[in-house]
Amino acid sequence: MRANLTACLALFERDLSAIRRSRSQVYSSVLTPLLLLIFLGTGVSRGLQPSSLPAGNFTAYLVPGVVVMTAVFAATFASASYYRDRDSGVLRMLLSSPASSRTVLLGKSMAGVTLGTVQAFAVLVIAAPFVDFEWQHGVFTGLLLSVATIVLLNLVLAGVAQALASRIETMQGFHLLMNLVLFPLLFFSGAFFPVENLPVWLEVLARINPLSYAVDALLLAAYADSSTGFFGLTIDFAVLGGLAIVVYALGFARMPRLTWSGK
Amino acid sequence: MTDSTAVSARDVVHRYGDRLALAHFDLDVPAGRVFGILGPNGSGKTTFVSLLAAMQQPQEGTLEVFGLPPSAALRARVGTVFQENALDPLMTPSEHLALAGRMFGLDRSTARSRAASLLDQFGLGGRERERIGSLSGGMRRRLEMTRALLHKPELLLLDEPTTGVDADERALLWEQLRDQGTTIILATNDLAEADHVCDDVAFLREGHVVAVGSPAALKEGLRRDSVRIGWAGDARATGDELRSWLGVGTVVERDREVIVTVDDASSFVPHLFARWPGAIRAVAVEPASLEDAYFHHVGRRGDAAAREDR
Repeated sequence: MRANLTACLALFERDLSAIRRSRSQVYSSVLTPLLLLIFLGTGVSRGLQPSSLPAGNFTAYLVPGVVVMTAVFAATFASASYYRDRDSGVLRMLLSSPASSRTVLLGKSMAGVTLGTVQAFAVLVIAAPFVDFEWQHGVFTGLLLSVATIVLLNLVLAGVAQALASRIETMQGFHLLMNLVLFPLLFFSGAFFPVENLPVWLEVLARINPLSYAVDALLLAAYADSSTGFFGLTIDFAVLGGLAIVVYALGFARMPRLTWSGK
Repeated sequence: MTDSTAVSARDVVHRYGDRLALAHFDLDVPAGRVFGILGPNGSGKTTFVSLLAAMQQPQEGTLEVFGLPPSAALRARVGTVFQENALDPLMTPSEHLALAGRMFGLDRSTARSRAASLLDQFGLGGRERERIGSLSGGMRRRLEMTRALLHKPELLLLDEPTTGVDADERALLWEQLRDQGTTIILATNDLAEADHVCDDVAFLREGHVVAVGSPAALKEGLRRDSVRIGWAGDARATGDELRSWLGVGTVVERDREVIVTVDDASSFVPHLFARWPGAIRAVAVEPASLEDAYFHHVGRRGDAAAREDR
């Protein structure tokens, strides 16, 4: 147990320190969502002047969705470390150690969670002073709720990403699948438009979409005053927490072993 | 299994789908020796070594390493060097060894001091802060050895460890490896290297052991001399006739070369020139090698095809 914890921590530290060598990835992962906020938020607010928003302008509404999008991209990029380790042979070295394959995945996943959380929270903190957030629970509590939401969301996303990466042979195939699944999920999660008052079929899709619960929690934490949101914070945290447990219990239950040659 | 036995395999069977990789495989490897596993591609070398590394479980039979079945606990006592590098080119040797040390349960300070000592021994002192991607191929192989030895394994598994390494590097590597005093299992196709460094070897064919012993003992049962004959034209048609000659053992035919083991080269060579005057370009006589013993026990790929045809 202790050996597995040490190994998990070693991998966690190693994957985090690897980011020092690709700072451009970190900068662009924060800058791209901010640019999206500036251009899409300003464009829609001024150009279309949406009138059915619960509060504030469209840019403020967009921030929670863009934070969720940042976490989605971060999880996808973090899984690249699995493929890099597999292709360089390092994964074989890791799996020839006494650490279990689950430990290896967990260590890499925790690094992904940390990176995704830092990047998503950075987008929120940088954007917040420039938009009309109501912070209905107060700024401090709102930030705590936001961090909790972002951590839970990243746990789910990084867990899914690592579990899938260990089962999908090529990185291209992995990215294709992630884009195919996560992009549509982003669109009907309430990230870019409210899910209230939508056609029934879209509302059903929103209800079974895990990202909807993260967007809802962030909207409730930061964006609107006197709002109960679409689901409510209790349901949001219960769903995200439950999903995180399911992902780590099922997704990490069995990792395909590499052959000696690493193929 | 005795205290002096490092590895004991009994009736081990392992399949990949329908393909039988190990077929009722039996082998004992004594502790503290350098033991070579030799055989053609697909003979089961890599499968056997990967079972020893506890990276997969045998499907049938009993396999024990130091009395333990393949398990995570066993992996802590085994060091492995893969045929292809297992190094992140963006890391430095010291970062790589720090990671490996902690994966194998060493605390940071032990890993650091052990890494420094091994890097010095393997001629990598002073290069520990350079990126691995900037090291030469030979240096990377030495770094692999350093990593595999970091946790003081009792068994070191080497899968073609010196592929692409020049002669000087090889000599340095083996000198350092022998100094470690650990049991070494070398899976290789390099018969000359195995002859030079192994205390014992096992020849594998089609998933089982066909011969085992010291290189000297395996060569002992052979004809005394190895004769390498260079032909001016295609030599392949001569093999059948040579096999029928008295005193001739194995015959290996290549395009313009035939290697024959014989009882007495001094009577064989004149007979050869008399039979094919003008057709022979060169003749070299050497004592029988491990390569001759290998072909004697394992046969050639053509022999295997002939057996399958039968």
